[in-house]
Amino acid sequence: MAEIAVGIDLGTSNTCVALMREGQVEVLPNAFGERTSASVVHFHEDGSVEVGNSAKAKVIHAPAQTVSSAKRLIGRYFFSEEVKKAQAIYAYEICEAPNHGVRIEVNGEEFSLPEISAMVLREMKQIAERHTGEKVTKAVITVPAYFNDNQRQATKDAGRIAGLEVLRILNEPTAAALAYGFGMGLNQRVAVYDLGGGTFDISVLEIGKDIFEVLATCGDTFLGGDDFDDRIIDLLADEFVGQYKINPRNDPFAFEKLKLAAENAKKQLSVDEEVRVTIDCVLNGPDGAPLGLERTITRAEFAVLVQDLIQRTFKVCDEALQQSDLTVRDLDGVIMVGGPTRLPVLREAVKHYFQQEPRVDVDPDEVVAMGAAIHAASLVGEAQDSMLLDVTPLDLRIGVAGGLAEPVIERNTPVPIEQTRTFTTFRDHQESVEIRVYQGDHRHAEKNTLLGQFEFSGYQKGLRSDVKIDVTFEIDADGIVNVTATDQATGQQASTQITLSSGLGEEEIQQMIQQDVAGRVATAGVQTPAPGDGPAALPAPPPPAPPKSVFAPAAERESLFGTGDQDLAGAAGDELELDAEGDTDLDLLDDEELIQLTEESTSGPLDIGAADDDGFFDTSGDDLSGPEIELTDEEIV
Amino acid sequence: MAQAAIDPHEIHALARIMDELDYYQLLNLKPGASTAEIRRAFHSSSRSFHPDANRTLEEPLREQCERISKRITEAYCVLRDPRRRKAYDARLESGSSLRIQLAEARQSHEEQRKAERRGATAQGRQFHGKAEAALKRGDLAAAIQNMQMAMTFEANNAGFKAMLAELRERQKAGR
Ligand SMILES: Nc1ncnc2c1ncn2[C@@H]1O[C@H](COP(=O)(O)OP(=O)(O)OP(=O)(O)O)[C@@H](O)[C@H]1O
Ligand SMILES: [Mg+2]
Repeated sequence: MAEIAVGIDLGTSNTCVALMREGQVEVLPNAFGERTSASVVHFHEDGSVEVGNSAKAKVIHAPAQTVSSAKRLIGRYFFSEEVKKAQAIYAYEICEAPNHGVRIEVNGEEFSLPEISAMVLREMKQIAERHTGEKVTKAVITVPAYFNDNQRQATKDAGRIAGLEVLRILNEPTAAALAYGFGMGLNQRVAVYDLGGGTFDISVLEIGKDIFEVLATCGDTFLGGDDFDDRIIDLLADEFVGQYKINPRNDPFAFEKLKLAAENAKKQLSVDEEVRVTIDCVLNGPDGAPLGLERTITRAEFAVLVQDLIQRTFKVCDEALQQSDLTVRDLDGVIMVGGPTRLPVLREAVKHYFQQEPRVDVDPDEVVAMGAAIHAASLVGEAQDSMLLDVTPLDLRIGVAGGLAEPVIERNTPVPIEQTRTFTTFRDHQESVEIRVYQGDHRHAEKNTLLGQFEFSGYQKGLRSDVKIDVTFEIDADGIVNVTATDQATGQQASTQITLSSGLGEEEIQQMIQQDVAGRVATAGVQTPAPGDGPAALPAPPPPAPPKSVFAPAAERESLFGTGDQDLAGAAGDELELDAEGDTDLDLLDDEELIQLTEESTSGPLDIGAADDDGFFDTSGDDLSGPEIELTDEEIV
Repeated sequence: MAQAAIDPHEIHALARIMDELDYYQLLNLKPGASTAEIRRAFHSSSRSFHPDANRTLEEPLREQCERISKRITEAYCVLRDPRRRKAYDARLESGSSLRIQLAEARQSHEEQRKAERRGATAQGRQFHGKAEAALKRGDLAAAIQNMQMAMTFEANNAGFKAMLAELRERQKAGR
């Protein structure tokens, strides 16, 4: 029997599920006939859960019980900027979990972000089951191309909690390109400009007959249509303050009303030259009287409000083109994806930047899910093959001495890939080494995202020149990172493997699957087929990874991210201990020392590990510089 | 892609000998292959070995495919980048290894350039160093004199030549 595998575009604002059967891609509408559903989860008092556009409508009356934009928070640390921003905007409770994770608290219950997203995914699963009359257990789920490992892993966890086998985590622009070019026999270079609710991605691809090769991808996970709304909210709030001297931002109910009005106004401007915003009651004044608001916004005024946001996307486009060694003239097409694509001001700007008319022929809300469905079908043999050769969006780095992070795999390197670097200990007879893995484009470790860390002690201790530890960095086709440390010493095969994760341990995930957390989602009036109707229930989950947590206890993490005085700049030259444990403590080298170190070790042969700074590790290899003549202070003049 | 894209025996064999192949052999390329040929070879190897094409393979075949796929990507990343490729070709020639790690390949080229700029002889490096120091203090005349000395030991060092020329320009402009 044919396998059913759906494609799901799990968006910040909207989620869409599609299925390819017998050569046709179909977007599957929900029980209300809507082709996309709001990615909003509303919690009823009885503990049951509602998902979609009807849940979104509840936000006005029960903002604290209605969780939206979970995608902005998934895979983030509690102390991150994005979480702070969300706390200011959303009325639901965002709290801290162990290991700097994030939890949402509703009606006294705590949920992890993967659980919230699992509820949305479960809704999609049910929509698909209603359509096919069969159990649906396999899916391709899309993520912004610029998502880091933590976010990808957390999204994959969400899929598993929802009862899905995630065949592939696929990048949204790549999916869009697939929907656009699949089976067309094209030979083109295209850019996919994807501005969604909360993220911006640009990918440059070369499309061949059956091959989609991503040349470069860049993005900004802090930029989307919601930021356009914020500009209108500010405008309306200022207007209100001007009239009544009361700040509506301080009242969550009033704020939700402004937000809704702002988004509607923005959408209206996609159709009309100007829009009149009318809110009868933003909030009740001191005397109980309703205070309303009216304001007209023109397209021209809106264009000024969002100009800098649009320009920010083009900065990112510049980068992507540069990384792929192309100019706009080399592009045969530009595909626009995402809701804001409908804004004339944005289309005009995109057309101007790329010097060509952008393609908007596939529905910008559905194209990503359609691409995911095509790839899902191809993976289970239901469609002709489509080979997607994607890249990793961020530099993968390892922490070395002085608070620095040394790149091992550069961004825009194709995946899957594996790289091995050889390191030695910082001191003779060192008991253990600390391996920290980062993603990001900064030399300074703390400016990147920490993916995980682990202590490795399973090597033969000895003089630092004798210890050789291979650290293998692997990025799989989902863009998910795995790091392994192995002792090179003959016969000794000590190795530790970590799966860098969202912070949910394998045990927790198993528990959530067992408890069927996502199962609270019940679509109104929808019968799901009883288990046994379709092919066997869930496939056995992959064997649990060793449950070794890569996240240090909070106390240790303080020292990693903690206070400003651990900032490298502030500490140059000082002796500062990076590690709480004392064993692998290092003195910080000041910048000048570091530069010299690098230079000194750079003139050598090509042997493995030629030029790393000293570190928790130090790249092994001989002292590479030839005998240097000491420079005297005297000048020859 | 429900069926394996390639004969299991071939996967087995390639996984076994992979470590003895250089990147050209792995991708089935001639040493002088053009960038377009390299890219085509990458595409066609990926069709066979990419994890998406082998999702339903049994272990250990699936894992072997993935290993091959990762090596293919590595080969492609090195060969398609002229600077990396140059460093790799040099390594092949020296016979020291059949692989090069990406970060290394990038570095080693820069290293060569940097080393050249600093000088090939002990004396050249010494005078170049003094010139740099003089420059830091803003003593242009001393810098020029030191570079002239450096050039007497390494008359053909392009980096030295360029630096000296630039210093003279600056001196002229300063007057
Ligand atoms: N007609 C319209 N005109 C302008 N903006 C619109 C229109 N329709 C939707 N939007 C905006 O598009 C955004 C949502 O876009 P989309 O549904 O593509 O995002 P998403 O896929 O949920 O998010 P992401 O891809 O970032 O995860 C919202 O900010 C919404 O206000
Ligand atoms: Mg989207």
